[in-house]
Amino acid sequence: MRFGGIDVGSLTAQAVILENGSILGYKSIRVKTNPVASAEAVMGELLAELALSPGELTFTVSTGYGREQVQDTGLSQANVSEITCHGVGAHWLMPEVRTVIDIGGQDAKVIRMSPSGELEDFVMNDKCAAGTGRFLEVMARTLGLSLEELGTVSRQARKRAALSSRCGIFCETEVLRFLQRGADRADIAAGVNRAMAERVAALVRRVGAEPEVTMSGGVAKNPGVKEELERILGLRIRHCPVDPQIVGALGAAVLAKRMGGGS
Amino acid sequence: MMIDLQTRASQIETEYVRKFKEEGGKVVGYACVATPVEILEAAGILPYRIKAFGHPDTSLGDSYLSRFNCRFCRSCLSLGLDGTYDFLDGLVETNGCDHLRGMFENWQYAKKLPYFHYLKVPHFFREDALEYFTEEISLWRESLSRHFGAPLEDAAIWRAVDEQEALQARLRELYALRMRKVPALSGAEALSVICTGSSMRTADFVSLLDGLLGDLSERKVEGFRARLMLLGSATDEVDLVADIEQQGGLVVTDALCYGSRSFWERKGESRDPDRFLAEKYLGNLFCPRMFTEYERRLQFILDRAEEAGVDGIVLVYNKFCDLHGVEAAALRVDLEKRGIPVLVLEKDYGSQSDTGRVKTRVQAFLERIGK
Repeated sequence: MRFGGIDVGSLTAQAVILENGSILGYKSIRVKTNPVASAEAVMGELLAELALSPGELTFTVSTGYGREQVQDTGLSQANVSEITCHGVGAHWLMPEVRTVIDIGGQDAKVIRMSPSGELEDFVMNDKCAAGTGRFLEVMARTLGLSLEELGTVSRQARKRAALSSRCGIFCETEVLRFLQRGADRADIAAGVNRAMAERVAALVRRVGAEPEVTMSGGVAKNPGVKEELERILGLRIRHCPVDPQIVGALGAAVLAKRMGGGS
Repeated sequence: MMIDLQTRASQIETEYVRKFKEEGGKVVGYACVATPVEILEAAGILPYRIKAFGHPDTSLGDSYLSRFNCRFCRSCLSLGLDGTYDFLDGLVETNGCDHLRGMFENWQYAKKLPYFHYLKVPHFFREDALEYFTEEISLWRESLSRHFGAPLEDAAIWRAVDEQEALQARLRELYALRMRKVPALSGAEALSVICTGSSMRTADFVSLLDGLLGDLSERKVEGFRARLMLLGSATDEVDLVADIEQQGGLVVTDALCYGSRSFWERKGESRDPDRFLAEKYLGNLFCPRMFTEYERRLQFILDRAEEAGVDGIVLVYNKFCDLHGVEAAALRVDLEKRGIPVLVLEKDYGSQSDTGRVKTRVQAFLERIGK
């Protein structure tokens, strides 16, 4: 039996298919104009790649923004919050993980799981772009770097720029000021990652970082943020063994298996 | 429900208010639950509790208050300044919190209503505070009597006291229906009833409730997976409660000042009506603006949670709410310590763009408590 998970976020959408307890395939795309179109596109492309038809999925769970609409149109049979899905996905990959730091395009969450993989506690960021993927996107553009480069370039920093972690707008102004003064881009990139990590660390402290800790979501791909978080929190963050962006969709597929009759 | 209930900012001036005004009635606005409405009632005035129902436009309010002020206050102020509240003959300000004071004083500064009174409510419940509050109530009574030409004799106040008690008894009955094993009404409906009544004379609200209690006795609200309790700051957002309930958690009780925190028992002993009201209001008031009352607040919440048999508590407050923002941290720890799961829901008042985030957190909370 095959089980599907669809996670439509604010910037990207992912689909995962599980078969016999392992990942058969996954897909990630930029979102379309609405969540249903994104869900159709991402699952459609994945099914096509695997030469499967929608009828070959026993049960599918949707998560993320628009998860209810996706279920209403019949693309999934149940919907679960992305908070639970990221926790379940990370726990399925690494059963020792108790804390998941999920940083997506427009929100950040810290999720604590019980040893048996139940959702124990969570916290979500304030309604503000600081501390989210969107913050990094804006800063990378200001620095003339791609998102990927923001993480790698920052590793060459010699003297990290001190930036505000409070507000995306103020931080962008600060980045421009550093650039005008001729500061090194690597130093500023390191400052951006540090500002981001400080903001997220505040959330982590609210829930408490129970080891093991891992990161999911697109920002987990930025090694600069990950290392700064490790430094601030004084702990090691386990590397996600799959693309960290698919953890939510993976959790949805795991739950689809539980709900749809798989063991 | 068989009656028209107030649920939106477009319904601030109700048909009831329009008719009351046409018949020559006077309407005075107040916002805080610490305002002894008996004084207004005794003067024949309609005490209208200021509401915004999550009105998203704060632009006029923003000209006077900062973006870092509570958006409930900015929304109410905007409605005051854009003419929605022009039916008011006056305002009674209290020092419920500083944001609220900013709202009232800028409203009066810009609109210059014919009557404005600042009723200062002490932050402690003790003898010197009671003496102070008694004097404050006496001064307010004098000022109201002078302005509106109402005699405001003791007998009229005692009649208003009895009316309030009759109302509060019925509200407790309404909550009993709400807390039943199979509730008779949803949390959003209960909030609409209370909001509607807070725009009416007490006697008319009592009649409305009498009819409603009969209609509801056999009603059943089913299909929910969890029983929740709502607590936190001033909440008049019917849509917010509906959003929470749409996720499957029925709000069966609350500890809100638009809810059970206003159904007060007779507390006063004094035979002087001003002193009686001071004892009743200060003795029952234990929102976070009251210093040294934390234990009483906590006990009140625990009692409400127990009587309603809730599965969890949603602690809701608006961004930039100092009082409830600080209180939430301690309350969460103390309630969870006693085995009650708590979701702290900080949100942007009246912001449609926050709806998705609210729903996600509520859904995850229900998943967390296994519902």
